[in-house]
Amino acid sequence: MSFEEFQNRARLFVVGALEPDEMAEFENARREFGEKAEAFISECYSLSEAFALSLKPAKASDQIN
Amino acid sequence: MPSGAPSDLELMEGIQREDPEALSHLYDRYNGILKALILRVIHNEAEADDLLQEIFMEIWNQAKNFSAQRGKPLGWMVTLARRRAIDGLRKKQAYARAEESLQQETEQQPEAWVHNSTEEEILDGDRRVLIRRVIGVLPPAQQQAIELAFFRGMSQREIAAKTNTPLGTVKTRLELGLKKIYDGLKELRDEL
Repeated sequence: MSFEEFQNRARLFVVGALEPDEMAEFENARREFGEKAEAFISECYSLSEAFALSLKPAKASDQIN
Repeated sequence: MPSGAPSDLELMEGIQREDPEALSHLYDRYNGILKALILRVIHNEAEADDLLQEIFMEIWNQAKNFSAQRGKPLGWMVTLARRRAIDGLRKKQAYARAEESLQQETEQQPEAWVHNSTEEEILDGDRRVLIRRVIGVLPPAQQQAIELAFFRGMSQREIAAKTNTPLGTVKTRLELGLKKIYDGLKELRDEL
C-alpha cells in the first residue's frame, strides 16, 4: 500500500468507515509506516472534531451530576 | 475560549490528576457540542441527556488513556461520544425511530447537515460557519455518504444498500469527500 492509499484509509478509519477486510491491510500499513502513520492519523482526527463542530450546540441538562 | 482560561489539554491533565474542577470546566466548554453530536445520532432528547452524563463519566474514568501525542482532547472526546451514541442507537429501540427520522430528513432535506442554520446562528458561530462552508462545497452525494458513516455508524456496505449505490461508488464518495474536507480544514487552520 502506498502512503497515499494509507492516507485515504486513515481518513476512513477515523470516521469509522473502514470495512473489516480493509482494517487488516490498514493495520499492516500502519505498522509499516510507523511514526509517519501515527502522525497522520492524529491529524485526521481533525475530521471528527470538524463534524461535531459543524453542528449547532445543543442545550444540555443544567449540571453534571 | 477567554484569554487566561485553561486550554483543553490543561483540563485533560487536570482530569488525569483527578481534579473534578477540570472536568466541570470541560463539561461547561463542550457539553453543547457533544450533546448536539449525540442528538444527531439518536434523535431523542432524554436519551441524549443520559448519554451525555455517561460520556462525561467515561471521560473522567478513561482520561488516563488520553495521550496528547495521539491527538487533541476534543478529537478524543468526539470519538468517544460518537462511539457511545452509535452503540446506544444500535442497542435501543430508538433505532427504528431514528431510521424513520433519517428517512424523512433524507427525502425532505438531503443537505440538512450543512444548510440548516438561520442567519442569526451564522452570526453566532463563525467557526461553525467556516467548517460548514468547507463541508458545503461537497456534492450532496458525498455529504450524504459521510453523514451516514459518521453520524449513523453505517459501514460502506450498509450505505451502499441504503442509497442503492454500488459499493465502489460509496467508497469513492467517502474517500473524495473526506480528502476535500481534510484539505479544506488544513487551509482553515489559521482561522479556527
